[in-house]
Amino acid sequence: MIEVAQLLKDASSLGNYFAPDVYVQGDYEFGLIENRQGSRLIALPEVLLQAIYAALEKEVGSSAGIVLFNCGRWWGKNFYRRFGEELSKYYDKPLAHMEMVEFLQCFKQCWKTHGWGRIDLDFDYYQQGFAIAKIWDSAFAKIAPQENCPTCFFESGILSTFFSQLTGCDLYCIQTSCESMGADCNNFILGLSERLKPVQSWLKEGQNHTAIMERLCRS
Amino acid sequence: MQSDIETLVHKAEEDYLKQSDIELFRQQAASMQKCLETYECLRDREIAIFQPIVEQLVKTYPQENPQLLEKVLKHWLSVLRYCAMAMLLKNPEYLEYRILEWLSDIVKAHQMQSLESTLYELLFSRLSEVLTKEQLSLLQPFLEQARTALLGTLEPSLVGG
Repeated sequence: MIEVAQLLKDASSLGNYFAPDVYVQGDYEFGLIENRQGSRLIALPEVLLQAIYAALEKEVGSSAGIVLFNCGRWWGKNFYRRFGEELSKYYDKPLAHMEMVEFLQCFKQCWKTHGWGRIDLDFDYYQQGFAIAKIWDSAFAKIAPQENCPTCFFESGILSTFFSQLTGCDLYCIQTSCESMGADCNNFILGLSERLKPVQSWLKEGQNHTAIMERLCRS
Repeated sequence: MQSDIETLVHKAEEDYLKQSDIELFRQQAASMQKCLETYECLRDREIAIFQPIVEQLVKTYPQENPQLLEKVLKHWLSVLRYCAMAMLLKNPEYLEYRILEWLSDIVKAHQMQSLESTLYELLFSRLSEVLTKEQLSLLQPFLEQARTALLGTLEPSLVGG
């Protein structure tokens, strides 16, 4: 028989760790914000992000995307570590013991609470070796300069390292549609870099996300 | 702070509160007292509320994996606790952000809506026995909010409210 008293002892029965009203704290008068563990957070004003894009464009030209992607990879590496530490401490179990659905829900909430937009993951192509991340209302796409190619390089970098560390495989991430180009959401494909190699040239040919996925699955 | 009281506090910045506002304050304070009593009742009788539900649930789903039943129970133990706090704060957003938004996808992914729905019905019925009508009416908007968020459009068959 299930004993409620026992359940109450076992069940951490905790809710949403990343609920925005409790996760983001700080002393606003002093301009300090921190998360609920006391780690400092930094707010990036739009003008700073615009300046980063503009300055990189001027300094390194067409390589700006690679620089931002690598910044994202570095960011993602630390993000994964902190994400794992915070969650395992709060829910009192290692990340590996969390159910996949709980883990994903925390990841989605974390992304949203940090103000990076809304993210969802699609594992329909799991058997073919790919996962799709979709991001709506991306803060980065919003301020990115208008280009004829996707511009969320930060996010691509973050996602590639985050999921590489999670899965233990060296995953690459490439964006195939972008809100800055009028798409309804930003699509990112995650997979082994060898298999994602042709995507860049398909993007240059003007192929959309659906067509790219079809070609990838046939390859 | 409760939003109604907060509005009154803002009003009092410019002038003394009018008699009608004082009356509103008095009603809010009285309602707060009732909410606190309801909260204490839910807290003190948590096990007494849920243990008969467990027995009923096991009878209804004798073949079901006990771990799954435990999971559903844990969900509603948490939801009721958060509902109780949301009632004290008179704040549906607290309930939405602290648990419902997070839990709704988990419930969907486990495809346990039928089990969750049964548990909700048993819980509502049990609360009707444990709480007075007035206490239940204070809690009910938040229970309804949880039901809508977690069980979507599934029709409750037993819920009278």
